[in-house]
Formats: sequence, structure tokens, C-alpha cells
Amino acid sequence: MSIKIRMRGKSTGGVAEIKALIKHPMESGVRMNKKTGKPFPALFIDTVTVTVNGAAAVDSQWSGAVSANPYMAIQVKANAGDEIKLVLSDNTGATGEETIKLK
Amino acid sequence: MKRRSFLKGTLATGAAAVAVNAGLLTPSTVLAAWNKEAFTAKSTDAALTSVYGSAAAAASGDIQLKAPAIAENGAVTPVTVDATGMTGVESIAILASKNPVPLVATYAFSGAAMGYASTRIKMGETMNVIAVVKAGGKLFKAEQEVKVTIGGCGG
Repeated sequence: MSIKIRMRGKSTGGVAEIKALIKHPMESGVRMNKKTGKPFPALFIDTVTVTVNGAAAVDSQWSGAVSANPYMAIQVKANAGDEIKLVLSDNTGATGEETIKLK
Repeated sequence: MKRRSFLKGTLATGAAAVAVNAGLLTPSTVLAAWNKEAFTAKSTDAALTSVYGSAAAAASGDIQLKAPAIAENGAVTPVTVDATGMTGVESIAILASKNPVPLVATYAFSGAAMGYASTRIKMGETMNVIAVVKAGGKLFKAEQEVKVTIGGCGG
């Protein structure tokens, strides 16, 4: 099962801002299911990595306290045409990835 | 099938933890493994100690922490940490002081990355958002109180 990601990036003056929207429930494992009295099982994205032209740039770790359908924005030194790749996985092992070329 | 991948996962993280303890891996190569200790720590100090080895961070005006003064919906609180004005930024951690698990996210930077991270976080009640920046081997922090009118945990 792959996780859906929408990503955009634009470079101005050598600095690119990359924005990504990820479709994911981000269940923290704390929220209670009132019908059963037990918490909903944890299901959240825990690692996100971004590479620029194949070189590591951002290595991020998340907890279940990141909002559902997470938004993330980062800045990298990159120019138009550079390849940005985002790879992520959640605590059940489901993964998602997206590659874009900077505008 | 799920059970199998769960077992595999726990074995793998266990092995990674052993390797760290034995000093086989340097911190930079371990970054890919999810820091379970930090993300289960119940206090901001314990979480910071687990991530950075120390909880002593100096307040810095160079960190621009953007968060709303009043969050209408605690489940989606936009937080932006801009440390691009600092030199040698290695990583950023975002914490919410009163959450059951305070550590929300960590970002480690290398190569082309700049010291900037923006995300949206869940907050259960009114509390401080803390941004900790590691730059040039030292820890700096910025704090801001966010008033939450509707909780983020199913109210």
C-alpha cells in the first residue's frame, strides 16, 4: 500500500522551497475509541527523507503528534531542474515516494 | 502478514539499538532509524536528552518560530521554524510541552538543506511550542505559547 504524496517546489535565487501534502490518518495511539473503550491503534508516518539530485538533504522523524494529512515545507539550496525526491514510511512499514523536478 | 512485518520491525530496531550501544555506528548513520526512546519520552527534557544528549538549550533570538497565538483548532496548528539566519544549522526539533509525548518531529539537515522546517501539529490544550535548533554543536531554543480553544485529541 503506498502512501499518496503531492509535492511542489520552486527555486528562486538558488533557494528552493519544497512543499508536500501527504494523505495519511496519523493516528497517535492515544485517541480513545468511545465505542470499545480502547485506543485506536497507532498509525503514523515516522520517517521522511528528502534528497536533492540523489544527495541526502533532510532526514526527518515524526511522532503521532503531527496533524492528520500532514503538510511539510522545507528549504534547500537548489536550482530549477534539480530533482527532489521524498521518501517516507509509517510505523506499520507502509511506504510512499514522490519525485519532482524544480521549477 | 501484519504480525510478521511487526516482528521483523521490532527485531530490526532492536538490532540497531544494540549497535548504537556498542558504539558501532556513529550518530549520523543512525539517523535513519526512528528514535523510539525520544518519541516515547514523557517530558521535554527527557526527549531532548535522548535526541541531543543534553537538554540545556540557550534561548536565541535568531530562531524565528512562527505559531498562532490562538489556535482555533488544536488538531491542526501550523508551526514554522526558520533558522536560516543562523550558521551551521545541523538539526531542528519541534516540541509541544504538555502533549502526552512532547517530541513532535525532528529534522536533520545535510548537504543542500537549509535550517527551515514547517509543519502542522496536534495540541491537546494550551501550551508552549518549543523549537530547538542545533547549530555549530550547540543547542538553541525558542518558545511560544499557543492558546488552544478546541483540543486536538477528539475533544
